[in-house]
Amino acid sequence: MIESIRKAVIEMDDEKAIELVSIALKEKTDPVDILEKGLISGMQEVATLFARKEYYVPEVLLCSEAFYAGFDIIKPLIGKSSQQSKTKVVLGVIEGDIHDIGKNIVKVMMEAGGYEVIDLGRDVPIAKFIEVVETEKPDILAISSLMTTTMVHMANIISELEQRKLRDTVKVIVGGAPVNEEFAARIKADGYSPDAPSAVKLVEKIIGG
Amino acid sequence: MVCADHGALLMNMTLTEVAEDGERIARVLRYCYDLYDYDMVLVFTDPYVEAQALGCPVTLDPYPTLRGPASNHSVDRTEQIIKAADILKSEIPVPVFVSIKGPFTLAAFLGGVEHYLKATMKSEAEATHLLQEALHHQLAYLRKLLSLSVDIMIGDPLASSSVISPGAFCKYALPGLQTMVDMAKAKNVRVGVHICGEVAPILKHLDDLSADILSIEDIDVETETIRMGGVGTDTILNGDVERIRSEVKNALGNRPIILSTACDVPPQTDPASIKTMVSTARENDPDHGVQE
Repeated sequence: MIESIRKAVIEMDDEKAIELVSIALKEKTDPVDILEKGLISGMQEVATLFARKEYYVPEVLLCSEAFYAGFDIIKPLIGKSSQQSKTKVVLGVIEGDIHDIGKNIVKVMMEAGGYEVIDLGRDVPIAKFIEVVETEKPDILAISSLMTTTMVHMANIISELEQRKLRDTVKVIVGGAPVNEEFAARIKADGYSPDAPSAVKLVEKIIGG
Repeated sequence: MVCADHGALLMNMTLTEVAEDGERIARVLRYCYDLYDYDMVLVFTDPYVEAQALGCPVTLDPYPTLRGPASNHSVDRTEQIIKAADILKSEIPVPVFVSIKGPFTLAAFLGGVEHYLKATMKSEAEATHLLQEALHHQLAYLRKLLSLSVDIMIGDPLASSSVISPGAFCKYALPGLQTMVDMAKAKNVRVGVHICGEVAPILKHLDDLSADILSIEDIDVETETIRMGGVGTDTILNGDVERIRSEVKNALGNRPIILSTACDVPPQTDPASIKTMVSTARENDPDHGVQE
C-alpha cells in the first residue's frame, strides 16, 4: 500500500493519493510511515526525475498536488514530535515579483525533505522578511526572484539583516532564473541554488556544516 | 536588447507613462538608439501587451506584473506598439524589430501560468482551446505589424526547456511558432525567435523553424540560424568593464552572431555598461551591422 502511495505521487495522481492514504489509515497503517515511506519518498523521487530532466515544471506541479492531497489527510494525525523538522526554513519571493512557481516547488521539496517551512508567499516586502527572521528565528532564509529588476532587493535584505545584527542568526540562500553563484557571492548570501532539488541539498550542506 | 523600460528610467518617466503612449514609446527607444548607437532597435515595453489586450490584469510600475488570468477588463496597447513601430521605422536607419509573444506563452498568461502548465498535462482540451485563442489573436496582430514591413521578434519564454518538456514543446508551442515564422517570412521581413533559459533539448526544432535569428542564452552551439546573444543580463547589470569586455570578445569568437544581451537589458543598468558593450564590439568587429 505504501509503495502504491509513493507511486501515486510520482505518477501525479492526486485522487489516487487521497484514496490510497484513506485506505491505508483504515488499515491502521502508521501515518508516519505513510508520510515518510510513501509521500515524502515519492517526492524525493520526483526531485530526482526533475534533476535528471525527465520531469519538468508541469509534472512537478502535479506531483506536488498529489503529495499535498495525501499530506493534508494525515497531517492532523501525526504527532508534533513525528513532524519535528531538523531545520526551520523561511521562504519567499522578493518584493515586486509574483513569479512563485519555482518557490512553490522548492517549498514542497523542502517539506518532503522533512524541513519545517514557513512560506511567506510572493511579492514579500523586505520588512516582512526581516520581521519573520526576528520572530521565527529560522535556520535558513530562502529568497527567490525571477526578475532582474527585483533580484537587487536580495542585497537589501542582507544589508538590513546586518544592520539589525541578525545576519549571524540565519543563513541566507538565493535562487531564481536571473540569479547565479557570482551574484550570490557578491551580495554575501550563504548559498545559491539553480533549482529546487539543489536547494534541498544546499540546505542539507549548510546545516550539516 | 534595450527596451522601453530602460529608456523610461533614463528619461525620468514611469513605464506606465511610456507604455500606454506610442509616441512616447518611440521617443524613449529613439533616445536609447541615439545614446548607444546599436545596429537594430527592438520595440518592446513589457511581456504582457497582448495578455492585457485579451483581458489579463496587468500593472506596469514599479515592474511589469501580470496580476491574474484573463477576465473581462481588457486594455489594448497593441495600437500604441504599432504606432511606435511606425514612427521608429520612419526615423531610424537600422532594422526595427517588434516583439510579439509566442502563442504558448500567451496562452499560459491567459489561463494563469501555473494552471495552464498543469492543463498541458491533465486537460488537453483546455490547453488547446486557450492556445488556439492565443494563436488567433497573435496572427491578427502579426498581420498588422507586417503591414508596416517591420521585422519581428517572437518571444516565447515559457516554451523553454527550463519549464516544459521537449514533448510538450513540440505538441503545444512549436506549431504556433512555425505558423508565425512562416507568416512573417512570407512578407520578406526578418524574423527572430527568443526563448530564455534552457533550449538545448529543443535546439534542433528551433533551428528547423527557419527563422532568421535565434535569440538564446547560450550561443556557444551550432545552428544554421544566426544566433543572437552573448552577454549575460547579470553581466550587463552588475559586471565591471573587464567582465563585459571579456564576454563580448568571447561572443564575437562565435561569429556570425548578433551580439546582444541574453535577455532584456535590466532597466536600472548603468548606461556606461551598455556603452562598453557596444564600443568593445565596434573595436573587435569593424564590419558590424545587420546584414541582408
